[in-house]
Amino acid sequence: MSGLLTVYAFDELWSLPNIVRYGLIALQHRGSQKYVICLPSNGVKCIEGEDIEISNYAIDHLAVLASYSDKEDNIFYVESDNDKSIAVIAERSWSKIYEFTHELLNEMKKGESSLEAFKTTILAFNKEFDEAIPSLQIITNFREVIAWRNFHGLTPLVLGSYGFDMAIVSSESIAVDILGGDVKKFLGPGEGLYMSRYLTKSFLIDKYIDCGLCLFEMLYLARHDAIINGVSVYEFRKAIGKELAQYLDKEVDIVVGVPETALPYAIGFAQKIGKPFELAFVATGGRRRSMLLGDPFEKMVAIHLKMNPIKSILEGKRIALIDDSMVTGATLKTVSQILRFRIGVRELHLFIASPPLASICPFMVMKLDVQNLLAANLSNDLAKSYLEVDSLHWLSKDNVNQVAKRFSLKFCGKCFGVDFFGG
Amino acid sequence: MKVLLIGSGGREHALAKLIKRSLLEPRLFIAMDYRNPGLEREAIERNGMAYIVNLIDPMAIAKVVEEVSPDLIIIGPEEPQFHGVVDALREKGFTVFGASRRCAEIEKSKVYARTLMWRHSIDGRLYFKAFRSIEEAKKFIEFAGDIVIKPARQAGGKGVKVLKDAQAYLAKDRLEVKKNYVEKLFAEMDSYKDIDYKILVEQRVEGVEYTAMVVTDGETVLPLPLVQDHPHAFEFDIGPETGGMGSIQGPGWLLPFVTFDEYRKTFEIISNVLKVLQTEVREPYVGAFAGQMMLTGFWGPTVIEFYSRFGDPELSNIIPVVESDFLEILDRAANRRLSSVKLMIDESIVTIVKAIAPAGYPDNRKLASGHPVYIDEARIREIGCETLYASVERRADGKLYTKGSRAIEIVCKGDSYEEVYKKSELAVNFVYSLDGHPLFYRRDIGSEELLSNRMRIAEKVRTVYRSRVANGLLGKMLVWIPGEGVFDNPLISFVR
Repeated sequence: MSGLLTVYAFDELWSLPNIVRYGLIALQHRGSQKYVICLPSNGVKCIEGEDIEISNYAIDHLAVLASYSDKEDNIFYVESDNDKSIAVIAERSWSKIYEFTHELLNEMKKGESSLEAFKTTILAFNKEFDEAIPSLQIITNFREVIAWRNFHGLTPLVLGSYGFDMAIVSSESIAVDILGGDVKKFLGPGEGLYMSRYLTKSFLIDKYIDCGLCLFEMLYLARHDAIINGVSVYEFRKAIGKELAQYLDKEVDIVVGVPETALPYAIGFAQKIGKPFELAFVATGGRRRSMLLGDPFEKMVAIHLKMNPIKSILEGKRIALIDDSMVTGATLKTVSQILRFRIGVRELHLFIASPPLASICPFMVMKLDVQNLLAANLSNDLAKSYLEVDSLHWLSKDNVNQVAKRFSLKFCGKCFGVDFFGG
Repeated sequence: MKVLLIGSGGREHALAKLIKRSLLEPRLFIAMDYRNPGLEREAIERNGMAYIVNLIDPMAIAKVVEEVSPDLIIIGPEEPQFHGVVDALREKGFTVFGASRRCAEIEKSKVYARTLMWRHSIDGRLYFKAFRSIEEAKKFIEFAGDIVIKPARQAGGKGVKVLKDAQAYLAKDRLEVKKNYVEKLFAEMDSYKDIDYKILVEQRVEGVEYTAMVVTDGETVLPLPLVQDHPHAFEFDIGPETGGMGSIQGPGWLLPFVTFDEYRKTFEIISNVLKVLQTEVREPYVGAFAGQMMLTGFWGPTVIEFYSRFGDPELSNIIPVVESDFLEILDRAANRRLSSVKLMIDESIVTIVKAIAPAGYPDNRKLASGHPVYIDEARIREIGCETLYASVERRADGKLYTKGSRAIEIVCKGDSYEEVYKKSELAVNFVYSLDGHPLFYRRDIGSEELLSNRMRIAEKVRTVYRSRVANGLLGKMLVWIPGEGVFDNPLISFVR
């Protein structure tokens, strides 16, 4: 997973290093394993790095950048030819990035405007290859930037601004907020923004593909304080938690969410059933997003660091435990072990705020491996025993469908075994 | 009736269109800086003629005036007012619609406008501090927080820097920009020898902007319908400040995001300002006057600045709306007989104006100038829209060339924003660049999306200012500096 960010200052008085740094920090929850910054500099150059907090580069008035949850390749490419240089940053690993960059440069050499060349190249690649084109950011040595949202609309792209001075485009509204800007528009699928010093305009490459937002954006990836396609992530999560409460068939004393993402689900759940919502775990060393980590060992480290329990509130209680999703079950196994052995809870009822994951992501937005998916491999009874819970409940596809409709959202449901939710 | 219109741009073309349909059967003469093809045509159609003359030279204008010997002179832009053109013509005994030099001080000097409001405790005033010297300004800026930096003199609707500063982690970056901008602005303002203060630092406010225009004879104040301008160069309110890339109006006297109470309050502020201004300068205010307003959480209706003339492009929206004889109204105002006059408008329609500008506008006028353009006016008329010529001139080769600012304004009307938006989007396609230099306009102006955004922001702002009313805090902003005391001054930063 990743976070894209473009900052374009129309006034040359600005210098951007600090703004870029805080922009990246604002997107850290979408991936902090690696980042790339591309900027004009004797042509165009890209800088890769791993520790956002210490990044400090000379960046004048414009930059395009991205942060990733994996140290993957095929995410950016720079190419030059005579007087033209361009860099392309993709929001996820894309095998065609080299060919695309090359073709785009060729189109530009034909004398077309950069925007027209971009449109032509996108349409050619969309026709020729099956692989879904990810959202892209392009920068040229003529200080032009194009930020474009993919045709499928799997991931969001937001347009914001700071006064008369700056345009900001980002995967998530949070980056605009943190940079002191105002969100101006949620770009639609195929929609983009062309930015240059004297001309900036929105554009649409009209190529209807029936798809939707990746459900994991709303379920897990975005921050609670984000707004996606006009919908508050926090409110959506609470609504899902309320929906989930209908599966409660035993008495419980308290409702607990797996930190950090599942807290609003647990709040919604608790409000619905009229039982107290309690904080059960405290994290150590800042927020780490365990689900985004590819390396199994690092993942366990992250899980263990965020699960120090508040013993007194949990001891001897009957607990409704809520989590947003279950992929491999590793997190929940750890939590149940802590609650059982270290605390001694009386009953543990597990509620998952999404349907069982059944297959891989055909768009490679989520890196899922079928043999690791708990729900695809274990029966519900076996899962219950493995996780040592008294009951295990999933939100149904119908439930997700209803909530999605209520918020006028349409989600891609491929990894859950359906085409769409809502719409 | 012989009318002489002074001015060269889109606003004057709008005035010409409003005037020419008058039952007073005007012969229309025009004094302009350059050959505006639209104005030239209106003059010829109304049996007059057009003169090319330096509009800030009272002597040169007086010559034209003596030749034409008009019954009424209408001054479009502000610069001739600042240069005493109105006073010189009145002295010669001509009837002039336009603010005198001293009355126009309200637009020319933002320091004067703000000071006037504070001196007379008029609602909607913002905190500010003005500077004569760069050293003093830079020292103050060091500890200023969430602010706007402006030129202290009207400088063609440009030069405003809005520096939201509510994030301590980015405060240093913004301070750098503030300091550098102060230097840059001082250097730019140096060329204006007619002002004392050079720059202004003002409290930053947020909300929705709108323009409230009036016609006045010094006693009666006749409001025009509210209009909303769009100052950002680019779509979705992004990019540098311009003189306005388009505007919306209607239905009726209000805008969809302004309540009747707010409308009333706005014109109360404007009437009060006109009253105290006339007391101070001891001259009647005769002409057009406008408040660039913003609905803010701080005050409700708040004054951003004043214009001693009609707004451009705001006046263009008025063309299809006015049912009264507009020339008669201007004439009566100029003759100080405006009482009992009623302005009739078509309350059922809405209007959208879109400006089309060459790339380079507003920050690189050179790049934006000298590009040939072609306007298929017949097709635009077929759609039901009107074409106004602004910063575009006819050269000796007969072709039209851009002059660096907004070249064309397209005015469309209809029963609903949805309908008018569609028309305006069609009409803009009939303005062509002949040399491949890009022209741009804002697709978002008049769209449902932008309008509903504005309504949402207005609703938020309303909640804020109403709670300030309830708590007796309207227009007040207290800052406590431990050890020093509580100050009523929001210009002080949170970090010292």
